[in-house]
Amino acid sequence: MRYGLIAIMFLLSLILPGTVFHFWSWAGIKPDLLMLLTIYIAMHHRLSSSVFWGLGAGLLKDFFLGRHIGMYTLTLAVVALLSYWLAERWYRENFVLTTFMVFLVTAVGQIMIAFLSLGAGLKWPLLDIGRLVIGISFYNAVLVPITYPLIHRSFVRGWLRYKPRYER
Amino acid sequence: MRKRVNVTGIAVLIFFLLLGVLISIRLTGLDTNFPNPVGGFLQSALSPLEKPILQFGNEIRDNTKVIWDFHTVQLQNEALLKKVDQLTGDNIILKEQVLAGMRFTKLDQGQFRNPTLNKYEKIGASVISRNPTTWYRTLTLNRGSKDGIQANDPVIGAMGLIGKVVFVSPTTSEVLLILDGEGQVSALVRGSAGNGTFGIVQGTYKRGSRLTPEGNLQMLFRREDNVNAGDLVLTAGIGGVYPKDIPIGKVMEIKLDPTGLLKTAIIDPLVNFDTLEEAYIVKMEGK
Repeated sequence: MRYGLIAIMFLLSLILPGTVFHFWSWAGIKPDLLMLLTIYIAMHHRLSSSVFWGLGAGLLKDFFLGRHIGMYTLTLAVVALLSYWLAERWYRENFVLTTFMVFLVTAVGQIMIAFLSLGAGLKWPLLDIGRLVIGISFYNAVLVPITYPLIHRSFVRGWLRYKPRYER
Repeated sequence: MRKRVNVTGIAVLIFFLLLGVLISIRLTGLDTNFPNPVGGFLQSALSPLEKPILQFGNEIRDNTKVIWDFHTVQLQNEALLKKVDQLTGDNIILKEQVLAGMRFTKLDQGQFRNPTLNKYEKIGASVISRNPTTWYRTLTLNRGSKDGIQANDPVIGAMGLIGKVVFVSPTTSEVLLILDGEGQVSALVRGSAGNGTFGIVQGTYKRGSRLTPEGNLQMLFRREDNVNAGDLVLTAGIGGVYPKDIPIGKVMEIKLDPTGLLKTAIIDPLVNFDTLEEAYIVKMEGK
């Protein structure tokens, strides 16, 4: 059930930005749902699992997009790592802190995508990059109060509950 | 014993991992034909889901567009209504101007022409109001002293005499109609043989007998004067107010005075005063 739900959420994270959020975009800016989901997963898993989920999610997105294979794999792995690291230090029950964390981690992830894109030969003006990074981070942060309480409860007590072999 | 961490090994691993990822990103760029069976499978598997969601979203957006764009639509609606009002007003003004132009053309072509009238300068004017009281038969034209109009200037229409200016403001002038008993016109009746009989045309709309709603014209003659129904009544040009030979009306009926000395000719005016909209004011200044 847990893996099935995560798979469905992964697929929805791939589908929704191009469909539903096409209508809810702000000046062309849509949220990065897969990055948001990766952050949530990393916050509720151990380090190795977090990075594994990040790599998997990134690879899925890379294949789904069909270009720059490795860009999202690397980015989401780093995002998962950073999220895990921050969640270890910040109280994850605090939704305000989580919102800020999502903004921060998304910004790091988007900056990484931007730099990797520049490395891949894309020529984006810095102003556009800044606008996109801030916009996507803000949008992801806005979604936290709506999505996080449910996801967190599910990860702690519900169907998504993670049962590690060894207690932290 | 604490487990030793091979930092160099990890660093080398990360370096090659990064290098591999960067090479992969470079090799699978936008302009490369990278075979992507996993992506193709994902796309084909998810597209049946994506399509209805997008369609559904489109339908919601189209059907609720008026709600999201309500303020814009409202502003547009207000602007359009103002525009419609303005255009309607412009259209009415244009139509009025066209109709007035047609009437002036008709007026200018003239149902009557006489050499006396051609000597004078004429100014076209529109009727802007009629006397709101029942005391006088007057109307107001949109020309005044700024246009050189003076009191006692005659006013003519397409068919004949209308009256004279009795009051002038800078932009308007009040015209006393010949129907009103206060205005009298020296006239002559020209019979079928061409001979003329002089007299005074007087309106029947009098200050003392205002019960008759419509004014009319009448003219007194001696019993032996040769005046018959159908004869044309023209201005005589005596008195200095009206130029000569402006048509006034036609003799409609002759009534004999009970004393047997006089007869009264009831004159049907040529001008339809009720539908009058345009007129010419004849400037008598210096003539």
